[in-house]
Amino acid sequence: MIGITLLLVLPAAAAAQPYRGVHPPPPHKGSLELGGGVFWAGGYDAGSADANETTAGTAPLTLFVVDGRMKSGPGAAVQVGVYLGRRVSAEATFHYSRPILQARVTSDFESAPDVNVDGTVTSYLMAGSLLYHFGRGRLVPFVSGGGGYLRQLNESNADLLTSPEIHGGGGVKYWMGRGSRRFGLRLEALASARHKGIAFEQKRRIVPSFVAGIAYLF
Amino acid sequence: MTRRGGSAASARHKRMFVWTVVVAAMFASAPAADAYLKLGTRIGTGIANLRFNRFPVRYFVTNRDVPGVTAPQLQQAVERGFASWAAIPNTGLSSQFAGFTGAPPVNGDNANVIGFSTRPDLDRVLGSTSFTVDTITGEILEADIFLNSTFAWSVAAAGEPGRQDVESIALHEIGHLHGLGHSMLGETELFAGGRRVLGAEAVMFPIAFAAGGINRTPRADDIAGLSDIYGNDQFRNTTGSMSGRVTKNGTGVVGAHVIAFNPATGKMIATFTLSDDGAFVIAGLEPGLHIVRVEPLDDADTASFLEASFKVDADFKVAYYTRIVTVPRGGTARNVDLTVTAK
Repeated sequence: MIGITLLLVLPAAAAAQPYRGVHPPPPHKGSLELGGGVFWAGGYDAGSADANETTAGTAPLTLFVVDGRMKSGPGAAVQVGVYLGRRVSAEATFHYSRPILQARVTSDFESAPDVNVDGTVTSYLMAGSLLYHFGRGRLVPFVSGGGGYLRQLNESNADLLTSPEIHGGGGVKYWMGRGSRRFGLRLEALASARHKGIAFEQKRRIVPSFVAGIAYLF
Repeated sequence: MTRRGGSAASARHKRMFVWTVVVAAMFASAPAADAYLKLGTRIGTGIANLRFNRFPVRYFVTNRDVPGVTAPQLQQAVERGFASWAAIPNTGLSSQFAGFTGAPPVNGDNANVIGFSTRPDLDRVLGSTSFTVDTITGEILEADIFLNSTFAWSVAAAGEPGRQDVESIALHEIGHLHGLGHSMLGETELFAGGRRVLGAEAVMFPIAFAAGGINRTPRADDIAGLSDIYGNDQFRNTTGSMSGRVTKNGTGVVGAHVIAFNPATGKMIATFTLSDDGAFVIAGLEPGLHIVRVEPLDDADTASFLEASFKVDADFKVAYYTRIVTVPRGGTARNVDLTVTAK
């Protein structure tokens, strides 16, 4: 009878002890993670067009040519995550940036010099992701994937375009400290696909981005 | 080269005046259209747009054949021309062929008549539109179109070398008949004794393609102009506009041609600066991103577009607005201010 009792009690006593492993304690179901940082979004082709006039023949007369490009640039990112288990977390993210849409105007029919014409775009991305973490040390690689909602406005807020978005990527978290509450660094690379956005031509585009920031686990 | 024009005659508060607005293959020399894309009549210090107020517009066709074109063929081409304008949404235009007539296309008979006239004296004029208008309201009471049978004409589906296309010229004149002035969305080059069209993006460009060319479809600029006169609330709620100024050395430029290009649609719509401060408004734009270009009025005689009282300044270089302009739906993008420099 005594032997059975010890067997039952010992595991309970062990669980009550502070974590003394060589690795920081892993997050558990219900652990929360807050993060924030900066990101860099890659540029992309925003479409091109010729300002054409009709002629008596078959070839048009091109008054000028426009080549558009969304320039790469920085932004801010915020994440809130909850762990569904030791390796899997669900995360809500918010990205904000103000990239420059640039149109290169060339080939003017009346020989005007080539010019760059700019516009500032305000971009919001609200997304949800699932993250799967590997390993349990200070350095924790992870992969992520999810979807969201992209909202872009031009600089006068006169034009609004929204689009669903899907993304995938991966990165690493480096945890500092050994407590169950700890800070860490987070690096992540993402590819984001959207089929609309402020541009001269609407089509599916894949935009790379890189996020660097800090995280707090508790 | 073709000219098109209009006149109006007084009866009670009606007044007659004559416009000759030209589609010219080689030259353009025409009496004035009043302003950007629209014909108008002065009322005191203001201008009332010329427009029909009652629809359908009933018209007769002069029962006269010319070499290559019978009166019924002319009627069919004219009917297609009216139909092309009436197809523009949110304008409510309609027309009705009332029959053939022995009357020539001249003012004063209270009937809209379209037909051929032989006018060898107008050797640069393909066609002309004349008006009788109510000078108080701008309502068009009568409009007549003649096509100059001094030229060779054709109704061939694909055009006919050496002959002017009836439907193309009729379409332009019917644009005037509805109150449209000239567009300058076109490029020309001078050659010995004349001016040749290289390209045009409006049927209301005042100079026609060389004989054999066809131009039978209203473009974005034509549609914006017609919609500016006849457009309903739906038009105004679904399109937008931009406004700004063109200046040189700090002062306004009069007669500058400002083009708004939408790269997403490929459409161009243009206007002129019409006031001493160089102000302009371009209406009827599809919402979205636009590139704005300004050029001097140098592809046709200024008289083809503006009254002689306008002191047009064509001494400046082509320039672009340095920002991408976003036109809002149902609203106006303001302060699109372009600075130009002398040539």
